Amino acid sequence: MENILPEPLTKKLGDRLRGVVGDAWVIADADRLLAYESDGLTAYRKTPLAVVLPRDTDEVSRVMGILAEEDVPVVPRGAGTGLSGGALANSDAVIVGTARMTDMLELDPDNRLARVQPGMINADLTKAAEPYGLYYAPDPSSQSACTLGGNVAENSGGPHCLKYGVTSRYVTGLTVVTPEGKIIELGGFGREPGGYDLLGLFVGSEGCFGIATEIEVRLLPKPEGVKTLLAIFDRLGDAGAAVTEIMAEGLLPAALEIIDGPTIRAVEASVFAAGFPTDAEAALVIEFDGIEAGLASDVERAVVQCRAAGAREIRIADSEEERLALWRGRKKAFGAMGQIGNDLMVQDGTVPRSKLTEVLARISEIGVRHDLTIANVFHAGDGNLHPNLIFDRSDADELRRVELASTEIMAVCVEAGGTITGEHGVGLDKRRYMSLVHTPDELDAMRDVKAVFDPRGRMNPGKVLPDLPDSAGAAV
Amino acid sequence: MNSLAGMLTGRLSAAQVVDGIEAEHWAVCGRIPQAVVFPESEEQVAEILSMSSEEGWQCIPGGKGGWLHGGQPPQGVDVVVSAERMNEISAYEPADMFIEAQAGAELEVLERRTLECSQWIALDPPGGERGTLGAMVAVGAAGPLEAGFGSPRDQVLGATLVTGDGRVLGLGGRVVKNVAGFDLLKLVTGSWGTLGMITSVTMRVHPVPAIDRSLLFKGRDPAEAAALACRLAQAPLSLAAVELLVPGDAESGANASSPLVAVRILESVDGADEAERLVSERAGIEPFQRLEGEQSAAIFENVRAMEDGAELVLRLSLLPSRLPELVEMTSRLSGLYDPTEGWGMRLAGHAQTGVLRVMIAKMTHSTDGLDQARVVLGVLRRSLEAEGGSLVVSQGPPEIVGALGAWGESGPVAPFNAGIRAAFDPASILAQGRLPQ
Repeated sequence: MENILPEPLTKKLGDRLRGVVGDAWVIADADRLLAYESDGLTAYRKTPLAVVLPRDTDEVSRVMGILAEEDVPVVPRGAGTGLSGGALANSDAVIVGTARMTDMLELDPDNRLARVQPGMINADLTKAAEPYGLYYAPDPSSQSACTLGGNVAENSGGPHCLKYGVTSRYVTGLTVVTPEGKIIELGGFGREPGGYDLLGLFVGSEGCFGIATEIEVRLLPKPEGVKTLLAIFDRLGDAGAAVTEIMAEGLLPAALEIIDGPTIRAVEASVFAAGFPTDAEAALVIEFDGIEAGLASDVERAVVQCRAAGAREIRIADSEEERLALWRGRKKAFGAMGQIGNDLMVQDGTVPRSKLTEVLARISEIGVRHDLTIANVFHAGDGNLHPNLIFDRSDADELRRVELASTEIMAVCVEAGGTITGEHGVGLDKRRYMSLVHTPDELDAMRDVKAVFDPRGRMNPGKVLPDLPDSAGAAV
Repeated sequence: MNSLAGMLTGRLSAAQVVDGIEAEHWAVCGRIPQAVVFPESEEQVAEILSMSSEEGWQCIPGGKGGWLHGGQPPQGVDVVVSAERMNEISAYEPADMFIEAQAGAELEVLERRTLECSQWIALDPPGGERGTLGAMVAVGAAGPLEAGFGSPRDQVLGATLVTGDGRVLGLGGRVVKNVAGFDLLKLVTGSWGTLGMITSVTMRVHPVPAIDRSLLFKGRDPAEAAALACRLAQAPLSLAAVELLVPGDAESGANASSPLVAVRILESVDGADEAERLVSERAGIEPFQRLEGEQSAAIFENVRAMEDGAELVLRLSLLPSRLPELVEMTSRLSGLYDPTEGWGMRLAGHAQTGVLRVMIAKMTHSTDGLDQARVVLGVLRRSLEAEGGSLVVSQGPPEIVGALGAWGESGPVAPFNAGIRAAFDPASILAQGRLPQ
């Protein structure tokens, strides 16, 4: 295909957009657009036509109306921490960012509800709810940077989803601006509207149906107590077996996270060193929360299962400080890996929990075969794997091998009865794997539903759904 | 045999189609279908629906028929497609905490199977355990446990749906975390058969808690009990359920006469005592009764059965802190029934979600009475909607539900609902009218 140079933002369109949001909030110069050319998945880079930063629902609606009239594609964007390339825009598309929409609109402690703007940072919501003994449960690893709007788009998870569930369980209502600029309300706590669960459908739609401009979420009472322990294993498979046994015991931990040997060594070699033994092949972080009095027996039962599975060492945090230290190795794993390689491909797949050991062995074998370092850090309790492929983007052959290995890992997850993404979304990166988990009829049904919201295909185009086999657009 | 039933028999077998008098107890909101058909496989469902799409027969997907009298009356009822003979458990993996079964499997059967492995499906929809899995998902029914565990939408991991034109779609999967594409599964939950026939469902299961304990608190009158329920719903811990129970006017037994608040604690052995202490502290009074194990479960089984035999069932909603106002509003319904007929009017309020279920045993049936009911319910719905709430007529005489609609107006989202319906049922043969436009 001929390489067409990007058309800069026309004066007419620029003026119209500036008329809504103010001069300062339309970004169209090349230098400043650089900040928007990729998201958390740095392997892809694209420069948008422009970025618009509205302040509220009304401004979003007017901006979307103008872009609809001018037939310009739109890509919504929060903090850009996504890991599937979902917030990237082609050179003909305008990014509508939520960076200025960070307000708490309403906090209702009696009903345990909050209504926020989509640009609010995930962790800030919990901070605001804390004085009332409440918190927001979904806690993606990027929670200190990612936005709630982004969480809605991706139906984000996090370590504590094992017990508490993902974002869709907590979003009770949305104000949405459609691709044509119309404002609609979906759901709403305290009412049972008839018709389909459009709210549930919208959560996880990756910016393909519209832009959420107000988000109503359910908060939970902060658990009275939290107990965290760390079990060290000489074999990764043993840690996987411990996870299965803990769940089979009828325990429901708040989190069950595994950090494998390569990750432990990366963490310990970094400024985030957490004091994990570097000759270990797995560290299992187990957390229980709830009524304080009930936690000790849960911990005891988990310890028994870990020992039976071959744990060589178990540490139980006795203070909040010790607890945070145990978590440090898990939470800083991605940062630490950034220090052992130039680039990182964070993969994301889910398998039934009982298949963990088998799938991990196959992933390790894939790494050896393609001569790649693969470090695993993952939500073991719900079978959500994050194999991290470490590479150097300037090495074309290595990049090729990363692609091959990624494809094989996805196939292994699907074969085991799992899926191609548990929480990072399909975005740009995983469109090519969609046919591994969906039949052509199922993909068509998704296309049909998208067309209901976005008949002209202007909303985050080229994401989630693979191109039709006979379409001119080449697959990525 | 009528011609429609004859054509279906030709495609399936005589043993899989009934008509005439046998079809009578499969009436949908009072309308008797021309035929009831019992497919035994996904392929047969697809065949029946494709054929109906060609012939323009109006189809109502069903399970064992328990919900057919409820909800909004359909525009036409030619064929009821029952999942009754598709009732196998296809997969149960306790370690992976899911169970997968065909849509016609009874909830009771699933419960027995999961209990063998000390697990359960944490849902308690109205209608009791004889209902089917598919029907529960299709109507999206939830009970008091919704507060602690979520509604079906939160616990269904996957489903197979045969669309109106006979396409077989596998939605979701077997794992909890799954964001591979748009979440069409959410559309199916609560779709009342309008998008297709559900043929199998994969549910999340939970470990059975060590302790199942219910604390019962008495209120002098419904208002006091509602205020107490609200206070308990705000207790600083996660409770499985906080339920306000107001017995019917005519149910004046020894204990049943006063309104209750039932708090369900599902915890570990040590946790349960501490939870009980926190709840009692919050209540400011001691529970008058404390039920453990099967007795605790039985109280909530009774809640599931509260709609049985009711002629009118309403769901009133506002934010949970306004439950006392909802209870107060039920006084407006006093003209709609005779309190000496049957048990009168019962209330069951889910204090954490702000839903008040109202059950009336027998309505006043004169023409004037039904007119009055339409007016009263219409006014009540409008005042709740103005406050951000809603009124659902989940069961009632067709004259009332037909005129009022089970739900209120969809408003600006109506075109999206219509577009989705058209995508799944292009020939418009599925349960037309069962959901608002």
